[in-house]
Amino acid sequence: MKNNNLLFATIGVLLFQIFIVDFLTINLIRPDFLLIYVFYIAILYGRVLAIIVAFTLGLLSDLFGVGSYFGLGSLTLSTTAYLSGFLYNKYERLLPYVFHSIWIGILLLHFYINTYFRFQTIFVSDIANFVFIWLTSFSYTMIFLLIMQYFYPIKQASRVKIN
Amino acid sequence: MRSFYLTLLKYKDHLLFFLAVSLSLVFLLRNESPDIYLIRGKSIDFFSFINSPLAWVKNMTQLQKETELLREKNIQLRLQLESMLAAYEENNSLKDLLDYSRESSYELLPAKVINMGISSNISSITLNVGQKDGVTINQAVLVPSGVIGKTLIVGESSTLVQCINDINYRLSVRIYPSSATGILRHLINDIYEIRELQKNAQINVGDKVVTSGYSKIYPENLPVGKVIEILDERGSFQKVARIKISPKISSILNTFIIVGISFDEK
Repeated sequence: MKNNNLLFATIGVLLFQIFIVDFLTINLIRPDFLLIYVFYIAILYGRVLAIIVAFTLGLLSDLFGVGSYFGLGSLTLSTTAYLSGFLYNKYERLLPYVFHSIWIGILLLHFYINTYFRFQTIFVSDIANFVFIWLTSFSYTMIFLLIMQYFYPIKQASRVKIN
Repeated sequence: MRSFYLTLLKYKDHLLFFLAVSLSLVFLLRNESPDIYLIRGKSIDFFSFINSPLAWVKNMTQLQKETELLREKNIQLRLQLESMLAAYEENNSLKDLLDYSRESSYELLPAKVINMGISSNISSITLNVGQKDGVTINQAVLVPSGVIGKTLIVGESSTLVQCINDINYRLSVRIYPSSATGILRHLINDIYEIRELQKNAQINVGDKVVTSGYSKIYPENLPVGKVIEILDERGSFQKVARIKISPKISSILNTFIIVGISFDEK
């Protein structure tokens, strides 16, 4: 039952990303709902399931069409899933500011890897602009993650097992 | 054996992560492999099919706006046409006098954008034409205001285009009126950089940038953009020009692919 729900949710998120993301594009930057989903899966169900979902979604996202670096999507999403898995069931065991700093750091790393691969030239020639692109991509997805907090807070997701 | 199995079970998350990263790296390192191209070709056909209703809705919503724009453009062009026809006749007669043959001839295949990928940065678009329409890899893709990319992966009925803003995209360009040539690559948003320009080339802000024709993909003189900044460092042997391109990659709906290109000898 759980697996079926997860499968439908994964397909739903993928379709949501496919159909909605074009309308939310600002200056070639789009929100990454797949990342938000993988992050939630990692803190809800742990690393194993999150890595499988992340790798699959990353691969599908790359198959959907990337100019170059086919495989980067699965690499970054799997890494995020693995690292986010450390937060599985940890909200009660960590200080809140440590917990929140860790997940923000993980998402920053995800966007850093992505931006580094996609904008290497700017990284070499204009580091300030590189940081700007990195932070804007991160912030845009963060806006949607913060909206998600209203419906399903991260601390609640991380406490599910204990409850 | 049992302890080995238990160890595997104990560290299955790390093992799985290692496997996922390894597979991703294999894909990344084998980007140019024909097998990967084949898989990507098949998959863009499938995803294009899923995305086609959305593309249709998007096209319909844009249609009204586009019709108004086209009407306006039509009147403008009609006015220009008269003077251009006279210039064309004059140009032809002058070419005849010089015994000058046409440099290239190519036909344009119109194509609609089905999707722009789902990754967080747009670097590719998928078009609704493919092998059955005569599209092959490495064909120039453009809109009336300029070049926007080249065909990268061609499926049966859809084509993945590597956009001009992709990190690995390079284009040989010429700057007019100086005729200086260089290599264009993406910098940020709609700003691009032309490198390998001769130090003594006379380039000014506002100069027009077109394709050089050195490549077998792009015929010469396709519009690319306009120079907005020139960087001439004293210690460097080359000049760098920054240009702005006219097409807005994120809002492109219709494109043209140059098919059946043939370069005749001058």
